[in-house]
Amino acid sequence: MMNEQRREFIKKTALGVLVGLGAASGLVPAFSLEKTVLPVWDEKPVPGKIRWGMLIDTRKCKEGCQQCAAACHHAHNVPDFRNKKDEIKWLWQNPYQKVFPTASQQFVSKEIQDRSYLALCNHCAESPCTKACPTEATFKRWDGIVAMDYHRCIGCRFCMAACPYGSRSFNWQDPRTAIHDPVTTYPTREQGVVEKCNFCSDRLVKGQQPACTEACPEQALTFGDLNDPRSDIRLLLEANETMQRKPELGTKPSVFYII
Amino acid sequence: MEVMMMSKKLLWIFAVTAMMLFAVLNVFRKGEAETPPPLSVHKSVAIDSSKCIAPASFMRANHMQVLYEWRNSSVRTGNRVYIASNGSKYEKSLNTCLGCHSNNRLFCFNCHSYANVKPKCWNCHLSPMETP
Amino acid sequence: MIEKALKGNRSYWIWIAFLIAVIANGLSAYDQQRWFGLTVTGMGRDISWGLYIAQFTFLVGVAASAVMVVLPYYLHHQNEFAKTVIIGEFMAVSATLMSMLFILADMGRPDRLLNIMLYPSPHSMVFWDLLVLSGYLLMNLVSSWAMLGAERKGVPPKAWVKPLIYLSIPWAFSVHTVTAFLYAGMPGRHLWLTAVLAPRFLASAFAAGTALLILVSLILKRTTGFDTGNEARTKLAVLATYTGLANFFFLGTEFFTAFYSNVPAHKESLQYLFFGLEGKCQFVPLMWFSLISRCGFHHRSSCPGIKKINAMACWCLFSSCPLHLD
Repeated sequence: MMNEQRREFIKKTALGVLVGLGAASGLVPAFSLEKTVLPVWDEKPVPGKIRWGMLIDTRKCKEGCQQCAAACHHAHNVPDFRNKKDEIKWLWQNPYQKVFPTASQQFVSKEIQDRSYLALCNHCAESPCTKACPTEATFKRWDGIVAMDYHRCIGCRFCMAACPYGSRSFNWQDPRTAIHDPVTTYPTREQGVVEKCNFCSDRLVKGQQPACTEACPEQALTFGDLNDPRSDIRLLLEANETMQRKPELGTKPSVFYII
Repeated sequence: MEVMMMSKKLLWIFAVTAMMLFAVLNVFRKGEAETPPPLSVHKSVAIDSSKCIAPASFMRANHMQVLYEWRNSSVRTGNRVYIASNGSKYEKSLNTCLGCHSNNRLFCFNCHSYANVKPKCWNCHLSPMETP
Repeated sequence: MIEKALKGNRSYWIWIAFLIAVIANGLSAYDQQRWFGLTVTGMGRDISWGLYIAQFTFLVGVAASAVMVVLPYYLHHQNEFAKTVIIGEFMAVSATLMSMLFILADMGRPDRLLNIMLYPSPHSMVFWDLLVLSGYLLMNLVSSWAMLGAERKGVPPKAWVKPLIYLSIPWAFSVHTVTAFLYAGMPGRHLWLTAVLAPRFLASAFAAGTALLILVSLILKRTTGFDTGNEARTKLAVLATYTGLANFFFLGTEFFTAFYSNVPAHKESLQYLFFGLEGKCQFVPLMWFSLISRCGFHHRSSCPGIKKINAMACWCLFSSCPLHLD
């Protein structure tokens, strides 16, 4: 009797220990029976400390100038398929009624109607796209940037449907066939993932300004920390009347326009 | 007789508990150093080309895990600085690997073609064959 | 039970061969899509969701409509549905499977499908949709297989089958509601940004699904001699009529809110669909066909001459397809 009970007990505890050890080595990679841990120090940035934003002074945009979009697309290997259906754009020009469809369209002055307005991902503080993503391939970063994790995207395009601004593009085919002037400093994307403006997070990490901001010959773009009351962008926002795209939707965009 | 059995039982319980405790304590051990030095993530980190981030045998077996952790850390967490066991600092980027292994254009492909592994990294990232 | 499917006459095997040809064609088309990318579907940056998602939505509705026979039979013991229930449940299984396959076909990176499970995102409706659809599929497959097997052996079904079927009743409602929430939660899409979308989906699903079920039972009677009974079909027609009328009502309320309030965001999408907007009117003929044929169905189904099988068949067809377009 005692032997049976003991056998059962040993079986169960042995199994339990095995399972525990096995689970531990699987779940926590640092724990491995070969003792090959390399210490990785966590230096997680403080979320919410910085909030990147952009101010576009549309009065300064010169007619026909495309330098910002060209710089952006060049720096990030954005393909140019030369057809409207497959096009991928991170930053582009639009007429007034396309960028501000919910603003008043009555008796808009000719000068304002003729101007070009830049459209890009607004990096919303309450973005519907990050809410919609089933894998968190698009997510809100610690610094306010709505980032894309191209490794995780399943290409369902739910984020594209959820975005009220049409800022996102999908790779309907292999982009590498359509990159006419590639750079080696930034990867490409692949067929089947969604991409968009990333506020040049790759340049920010090196302490540089975004490509579009730097490329603009009229310095129409101001990029900075919206949480810092003494930043250039905040000072300009105080001094000027600004507009945002579809504010009534509650997305709290980080891109502002001086009209 | 019963006392002997009782003590044997106790011995078993003690042994099993000790093993489990050992397991649990090791699970939560992270490394020797506890306080990281302050580092600005905005400064680009110099690559120390004289040695790899880890011994070759470790890298051969674990580079997939290292890259996976680096990828999640850089893209999703913002922690871009890797500090190796000898204290050298590296940026958590494929460019770190390619910067050191730049003399061999077939760096990744040699082993992968032998092992018949086809990772999809090069669909997006520029491979050693494509970078000058 | 599978051996029953391997026995048939010439016409049966011709039908099977035709279906296999269709499947092979589909597989080769999918192969093209995997190679060249989703560009081959004709979707583009401005229309990033197309027929795949439309089919998915419709089929989820058809799957949910099995509840229209399951509820009266199992909860209220309406024994006219005795022979229809099993057809309804299996229709739910195939419709659910098809809808999930449509999602798979629509994905840009189907090799990463498991990411939805590996990185669960409770804030995303697609995550919940996958969960409830898989659950519904399993539930219906297991319970209907058990019921059919038990009937074949002439024994009463196992005790766990009934609770599973009872669970599938609210689950069916939730399946299509979650699918509706996928659309109804997006702030920028004003055709869908309405609380009435989920009720609308349910009403049209129940109408289309029951009509389809009538069609299936008529086809089965014609080809295999398995007759579910005229009472069952009549009852289903009544259900289809009332749910179809509810759907009409919901459409009417949408039109009222959009056009009476005159808000451009709400108005313009309906304008584009039914009247054309700024010269673009591709959908207008389809939407009016949908409306008119549904009116035709309702006219017919309200008449006492419903007993005529052929008439019922045609009008059911005209109810089901247009509801799909809706």
